[in-house]
Amino acid sequence: MPEQRKPPAGSASTDPPGSAPENVAVIDATTPQDDRPRGLRARHPLLVYIVVRLGVSVLLILGVTLITFILTNLVPSNPAASALGERASSDPAAVAAFNAKYGLDKPLPQQYVIYLSRLAQLDFGDSTQTHNPVAKDLGSAFPATAELALTALTIASVLGVGLGLWAALRQRKFVDQAVRVVSIIGISTPTFWLALIVYYLFFYKLGWFPSSGRLDPQFNPPKDHTGFYTIDALIAGRPKVFWNAVGHLILPASVLVLYTVGLLARFARTAVLDVLGSDYITAARAKGLSARRVTFGYILRGALLPILTVVGLTFGSLLSGAVLTETVFAWNGLGQYAFKAATTLDLQAIMGVGIVVGVTYIAINFVVDLLYGVIDPRVRNR
Amino acid sequence: MKRVRSLVAVSIAAALLVSACGSDSADSGTSGGASPDDVKTLVVNDAFDLKTSDPARAFELTGSVVDHAVYETALNYDGADVKKIVPGIASFKLSADNKVLTLTLEGTHTFSDGTPVTADDIVFSYQRVQGIAGNPSFLLDGVTAAKVDDKTVTLTSKTANPQLPFILPNPSLGIVNSKAVKANGGTTDAKDAAENYLNTNSAGSGPYMIDTYDVQSQVIFKTNPNYAGTKPAYGRVVMANVPGATQKVNIQAGTAQVAFSLSPDDIAALDTSKTKVIASASTTTIFMWFNMDAAFGKTAADAQFVQAMRHAINYADLLKLAGAGSAQPGGLVPLSFVGALDKDDNNSYDVDKAKSLLAESKYKGEEITILYSSDVAVGGVKIGDVAQAIEQQAAAIGVKLKLNPQPSSTSLDSFRSGKSQAGVAYWGADYPDPADYLVFAPGGDLGNRAAWAESMAPDSTKLATAAAEASGDEARAAAYIALQKQLNVEGPFIPLFQPADNTVVSSSLSNVVVNPIWGLDFASIS
Amino acid sequence: MTEPLKAEFVAKRQLIRWPVAWRQPLTMIGLVIVAIWLVVAVFGVLLEPHDPLVGATPDRLLAPSAEHLFGTDSLGRDVLSRVIAGARVTLPLSILLVVLSMVIGTVLGALAGYFGKAVDEIIMRIADLVFAFPTIILAMVVTAALGPGLENAVLAILLVSWPQYARVTRSLVLGARNSEYVIANRLLGVGVVRSLTRDILPNIAAPILVLATLDFGNAVLLLSGLSFLGLGSVPPTPEWGAMVSDGVANFDSWWIATFPGLAILTIVMAFNFLGDSLRDALDPRSRRATTGRAV
Repeated sequence: MPEQRKPPAGSASTDPPGSAPENVAVIDATTPQDDRPRGLRARHPLLVYIVVRLGVSVLLILGVTLITFILTNLVPSNPAASALGERASSDPAAVAAFNAKYGLDKPLPQQYVIYLSRLAQLDFGDSTQTHNPVAKDLGSAFPATAELALTALTIASVLGVGLGLWAALRQRKFVDQAVRVVSIIGISTPTFWLALIVYYLFFYKLGWFPSSGRLDPQFNPPKDHTGFYTIDALIAGRPKVFWNAVGHLILPASVLVLYTVGLLARFARTAVLDVLGSDYITAARAKGLSARRVTFGYILRGALLPILTVVGLTFGSLLSGAVLTETVFAWNGLGQYAFKAATTLDLQAIMGVGIVVGVTYIAINFVVDLLYGVIDPRVRNR
Repeated sequence: MKRVRSLVAVSIAAALLVSACGSDSADSGTSGGASPDDVKTLVVNDAFDLKTSDPARAFELTGSVVDHAVYETALNYDGADVKKIVPGIASFKLSADNKVLTLTLEGTHTFSDGTPVTADDIVFSYQRVQGIAGNPSFLLDGVTAAKVDDKTVTLTSKTANPQLPFILPNPSLGIVNSKAVKANGGTTDAKDAAENYLNTNSAGSGPYMIDTYDVQSQVIFKTNPNYAGTKPAYGRVVMANVPGATQKVNIQAGTAQVAFSLSPDDIAALDTSKTKVIASASTTTIFMWFNMDAAFGKTAADAQFVQAMRHAINYADLLKLAGAGSAQPGGLVPLSFVGALDKDDNNSYDVDKAKSLLAESKYKGEEITILYSSDVAVGGVKIGDVAQAIEQQAAAIGVKLKLNPQPSSTSLDSFRSGKSQAGVAYWGADYPDPADYLVFAPGGDLGNRAAWAESMAPDSTKLATAAAEASGDEARAAAYIALQKQLNVEGPFIPLFQPADNTVVSSSLSNVVVNPIWGLDFASIS
Repeated sequence: MTEPLKAEFVAKRQLIRWPVAWRQPLTMIGLVIVAIWLVVAVFGVLLEPHDPLVGATPDRLLAPSAEHLFGTDSLGRDVLSRVIAGARVTLPLSILLVVLSMVIGTVLGALAGYFGKAVDEIIMRIADLVFAFPTIILAMVVTAALGPGLENAVLAILLVSWPQYARVTRSLVLGARNSEYVIANRLLGVGVVRSLTRDILPNIAAPILVLATLDFGNAVLLLSGLSFLGLGSVPPTPEWGAMVSDGVANFDSWWIATFPGLAILTIVMAFNFLGDSLRDALDPRSRRATTGRAV
């Protein structure tokens, strides 16, 4: 989905060689514009920078809660009806009791304040569909999506950085062009369609991989430590479950890999090209170091920070972007949960998902900003 | 293709073997006994409509299957035959005026925690269903439950209630352990707070107990050691939420033994050497409705127009869409019920007649909005496909339909409000009796949704009252048939078809008992 | 007095270097595919072998054959005709979507960049907020609230797609605003509107158009994604994403989902090819600005 493409789209440009690094630009979109540092800022630039960034993040999170709240209150339909079902919603007493229970009978601003104060205690309310506290549902859905997204991201990073490095070292050659074309095709493929095709082919026709879901039904999920079935299975010492969980991960993760890898490859290429043009690489080569040593010891190391940044940002959006993949693979993660919540107008659940994904995204941004603030002093004063 | 597949399979198997060698001992070590990964398991695939497993609240098919496994009911159906009642926890006697039903406890039944089932538990369970005012509460409308002695309970109805014995086997009326439920917040009024307890624990005397419960993905059962009946053959049952298309693959591959939600197309393409299809009489009617209040129905609020539509619909075509096993009833009552109407010429495909009726109606080419649930498939038939087919058929006589698909939560609400113009919907029986279809009469629950009041159709109203009061199978059948014929003349509902109700099971299973009210009996499978 | 300044200002103008663009094979491939789809969209009615909206029940789920090159769907409708008709649904809507979000985003971004201070803060903080929120989930909630329908899906996507234009425009305007020529004109009493439209806009148009080309693919993907989830188009509209979801319920009939998916893939790919090579051909001075938008 476009969502995942958003952050790296700008960064992963195909810049001609020797262009200035784009790193700084990652920050300036959200950094308040000040002309030059004064006062406290001049004395403790890093501290001020961190505090400002933190303040912006908190404001953004508040904004996310407000947006979710407003949006869900635009919903014209009656949540009581969808939650209570066919018979009970004909009973006015049951509807009134339901509305009172969820605070739906109070004026809107008051509902928002109530909501915020409950959020502060990590109380996301109860889902009208699962009848569980939303926090509990999110507690199981979030790790499911995180496991999928992290797996995809790890594979995509290794592949992407490798391809990007290869393309940069063979700049303007066939490999470079091939990587470019493949990565464009990758971001142009509709995820939901790709998921369906992969599922049809590799599960249905060929039977190489297990069915949808996170685990074969004959296995009980491992005891919950991390929420990652693979890790929990290892902790519990149940290798059969571990391998089964791995098998279930492969297809949906591949779908996510297929289109993130292109973005990462192109970003890695740009980053490597930037490093290639710098003096210390020329110096290292002049010293007569082996090509391998230069590639891995110097070039890759120099390009690592910008690459890590994009990897981090991609993860944030993968979390929310797995929606369509999860739908096809019946993966009980945030995406499925959000989709079910949206179609059944389960307001508390929708707000919960929005906040969790929004906060994750903002948190990753915050860390990335910090990383840059620490590494590159110029950023703090911008 | 096959060779490639087996090659890969071999290499994967080899990889797994390496780890599996050391694993089995580790597994049994951690669980202190039989490895949980090696227990023989019955895997059931269903496209979940689960909301809760608290019997007093559950009202969806998935919930009914779950509750039937965990809770015993006072009376039961004779397996697949829902027209015959057999004793469950109790036997029964109905008074001559059909108003007093006496239940007498039979033998010893024990809850999963070891306490015996008593008359108090039955009274508490019924009062709790009534007091919570949840979806199943209407089942016991006008009924008062009272304990006579430790072994006897009477159910007294305000009016004649001959269908009560057929209602009691509903899994929503499962008998819960009153002590355990009360200890966990259970009451017999709206303050009841035992739902979460009942979702994760079992307070029943049925063959199984809930092991793990996840409303969106799966419910896992283990056997109840204190079950009074024969110990079930399968020690563990997994009921997993799986979309219909995947169920077909699972059942063919043997990763599932039961599939509830295959479409007729999938069933036609099944490999019959590995699977068998259990067809049971459907209790769902898919129908079309029009709002009779001119403010909302516009030009569709016209009996003449509805008559034209009755002849515009190509029922045979719809049955092809619905696949083998589907049928067209003459009225709204399903064909397998007492009082069903086999056939009615008012609902027949006749384009010329439709056109001439349409010419006489108020309809002058306006667009009519058709509301339906976009996310619902009944018996594997998507309501959306039915609506699209009807849209094409209506266009052939010059009626323009505009489709308005909504998720069921929203569409049900719009339908219920009585302010929508028209739509396609479905009604599944809550118990196998035509009385459940009086809702379609003027002023009934469904009648009101079509803004069809008693004053608008005095004839139908009179016939509905007569049907409700009739006693004895023959008299009731005649009364309900007369009512449905009249509904087909002046009513706002067009019965379209009953979808097939198929359950696909692996051919290795025997003794599979399926019925439309509680779905499937896990315990009897061998 | 401003003439030499103007000459320098115009010389700095960020333009697409067309000779460079034409040399790229991707430009040609992209253009050809886009042209083909435009022809299909305009003359589709003549190309359709069958009625895309009407099918016959006996013809349900037929595999591809000479009569039905792409097979038929669960209602017996010809998939090829529906794919062709789908171009008439998706292309105009996506173009509309891109134009609208470009206009809204550019205007807001220009205002933010030109006026700075509070205007800038308000507009850009809202943009940040939209960015922090997961696009598809936001769009999902909006369409769930408004009810399914392509118009509502367009509205939802519009809501999440304008900020990228606003950010790029803002940073471009910020650069142009401080050029000596614009400052001099301002001092000479040239009005805000004139300054923005006459001086600044031509200077920043090229990068924004490149962004719009790249954004077109996103618009198609989001639109079809929402329809796939049942939140976009309403049946029987032959929308590609909705057609793919028809294929989910009829898994054995692979052709129902495959062909509309390929349609989405080719059109999105073509626009991305185009946008990518145009970005390459953009005068290097502007590169910083087009790619300056990040998070």
